[in-house]
Amino acid sequence: MTQVLRCEGLRKAFGDLQAVEDISFTIDRGETYGLLGPNGAGKTTSISMVAGLLHPDAGEIVVAGERMHPRATTAKAAVGLVPQEVAIYPDLSARENLRFFGRLYALRQRQLDARVDAILEVIGLSDRGDDRAGEYSGGMKRRLNIGIGLLHEPQLLILDEPTVGVDPQSRNAILESVEALATDGLAVLYTTHYMEEAERLCDRIAIVDKGRVAAEGTRRELVATIGEQDLVRLDVAGDAPQAAVALRQLHDLGSVDVEDHAVVCLLHGAAQRLPTLLGAVAEVGVSVTGVEVREPDLEDVFLHLTGAALRD
Amino acid sequence: MKRMWTIARVELTRFLRDRSNLFFVFVFPLLLVLLIGAQFGGGGGVQVGAVAPDDVPAERLLERIEDAGGIAIVEVEDEERLRDEVSRGVLSAGVVLPDDYGARVEAVEPTEVAFIGRPDSTAASVRAVVSAAVAQQRQAGQAAALAEDQVEGGGDRAALRTLALDLQAQLDGVTVRAETVGTDELGEEFAGLGQFDLGASSQLFLFTFLTSLASSAALIQLREYGVAHRMLASPTPMRQIVGGLTAGRLLVALVQALYIVVATVMLFQVDWGDPLATGVVILLFSLVSAAAGMLIGAAMRNDNQASGVGVGLGIGLAALGGSMVPLELFPDGVRLVSRLTPHAWANEAMAEIVRRDAGLGDVIPQVLALGGFAVVLLVLGTFTLQRTLAR
Ligand SMILES: Nc1ncnc2c1ncn2[C@@H]1O[C@H](COP(=O)(O)OP(=O)(O)O)[C@@H](O)[C@H]1O
Ligand SMILES: [Mg+2]
Repeated sequence: MTQVLRCEGLRKAFGDLQAVEDISFTIDRGETYGLLGPNGAGKTTSISMVAGLLHPDAGEIVVAGERMHPRATTAKAAVGLVPQEVAIYPDLSARENLRFFGRLYALRQRQLDARVDAILEVIGLSDRGDDRAGEYSGGMKRRLNIGIGLLHEPQLLILDEPTVGVDPQSRNAILESVEALATDGLAVLYTTHYMEEAERLCDRIAIVDKGRVAAEGTRRELVATIGEQDLVRLDVAGDAPQAAVALRQLHDLGSVDVEDHAVVCLLHGAAQRLPTLLGAVAEVGVSVTGVEVREPDLEDVFLHLTGAALRD
Repeated sequence: MKRMWTIARVELTRFLRDRSNLFFVFVFPLLLVLLIGAQFGGGGGVQVGAVAPDDVPAERLLERIEDAGGIAIVEVEDEERLRDEVSRGVLSAGVVLPDDYGARVEAVEPTEVAFIGRPDSTAASVRAVVSAAVAQQRQAGQAAALAEDQVEGGGDRAALRTLALDLQAQLDGVTVRAETVGTDELGEEFAGLGQFDLGASSQLFLFTFLTSLASSAALIQLREYGVAHRMLASPTPMRQIVGGLTAGRLLVALVQALYIVVATVMLFQVDWGDPLATGVVILLFSLVSAAAGMLIGAAMRNDNQASGVGVGLGIGLAALGGSMVPLELFPDGVRLVSRLTPHAWANEAMAEIVRRDAGLGDVIPQVLALGGFAVVLLVLGTFTLQRTLAR
């Protein structure tokens, strides 16, 4: 069996707030699966249930053939969690942090020593391994955070927005190491609100909004949900919503959405239709300051599915 | 078990690495023991005022008080002035001898020595010294009178010599405890106590509790740092995590307590009494402290709040429990209320153990009370911690 994780019908509420409404997905060995969604979509809540930190109100989670719940020790041993916020003891060194969590995952002494050295090498902290973690740079802390998740050689690695607040260089290093992990046969569950990261890393992506999976598939499949349409983005000076109203009067536009000072449309054969679009906008007295025509990406898929931008 | 130990050890390591702890945990307690010891005697810092007639017995008495160590007698004109200076803290305490003191002592008639002190431990210790001195002088007077009777009654030389030897033996053997002058129970209470003994045990309880509460902020950091969630995501069962953290708090409390024991024995030759009895009291008190710390650490929102509340409670309960001013000086009502603090029971137990050479069997009530505190606080602490960790 190559399926490492199966989630079905997950639900979780905090008081009146339905953080996760209905989330289902599966991940196979060697696969990197992305949960792409804006802040507050319910990604961390979903992941907390998968990691056995939260008990779902409804639904089922199976990790490596074992049901996951807060007391499931066998299932937990198969999961490596890299929390969204760096979770390390700043008053211990990287080596001490690794040894501590290694022991909690019941690694035996011999194995532990070898794994700690190996991980320090992987995360590039071999020569700083005995310094207090509190003195590390942000990027080094992030790498240690990931290293702890990998220490016990889990079957499923969960990374919750590991690149938030990281400088571009460290960010690239993190993305590269995630790519390498998946080729080693690890199943990776990766959450992000960065479309480019999901596109680059993930074999399959679930677009999550308001606690639900709005669409799921490979990047290609997701873009195809829009159809073979082109994306036209008109930057406008003036009343963007009014321009959108005018454009919606035209036939055969796939969708028309308003974004700050721009209107974004999906349509077939954009090159031929462009003069018509510009004319319609000009008619309602809104001037166009810029035009962009391109293939749609995940960002556009998200906008199309939810009517809102991925980033705030 | 192994994982519990791992968690406990890391908590201790973090405590020992926290530089801000160094002074308050390792230096400050010894300074206080030293300070209290210096006041109690030996340090020479205590000035006691005396209003006394100009006669030989009065002079002898004052000399005897000075000889007791660390007390300097300052002559004061009248009682009113003495009261004023004592209450303003210029003098640590005062004694007033009646004008006919010498005559009465020589006539072996009852007489009264008035003692003026503030309600603090210095006054209590000076009072003990004064009581002892008065008692000795009184006994010497009685013996002399007895001897006179013998001579007048035509006693022979041999009988007198025996009497003199008796007298000497009696004088050497005089302790404050053996004699009562007036109704000075308090003086008796502190008799036979080494210079630093009084401060050492009361400060041990103060600091063990205070350190446990103040360092409970470490539990809040576990949540802040996110490592609590990491522990919970590991295959370590919740009860082992809570057990490990509890053991960690206990280690911290024990380190503080044992440090004070060892350091005061080595530096000040403090007598800690029967090792078993003292060991049990300290262990139970450390458990109480650890559990109280867990409760604070679990119930407070951030570590500033926890340290603040911890220090407040740590000082307040210590004061109420007789770790600043001895319980014996409390009015009855306050003494009753003090029973609500673990400190009071622990201080009471140590008073028995150190001052009256009591063994474990003699402090059963105190041990049971401390055990009760420990059980209740441990149940509350582990329950609350378990709930907040999972949040
Ligand atoms: N422990 C909690 N208590 C109450 N509300 C929460 C809690 N955790 C998350 N939420 C709320 O649930 C929603 C989903 O949060 P989260 O899963 O963290 O989203 P994401 O990770 O996608 O940004 C948000 O509205 C958030 O405020
Ligand atoms: Mg999140």
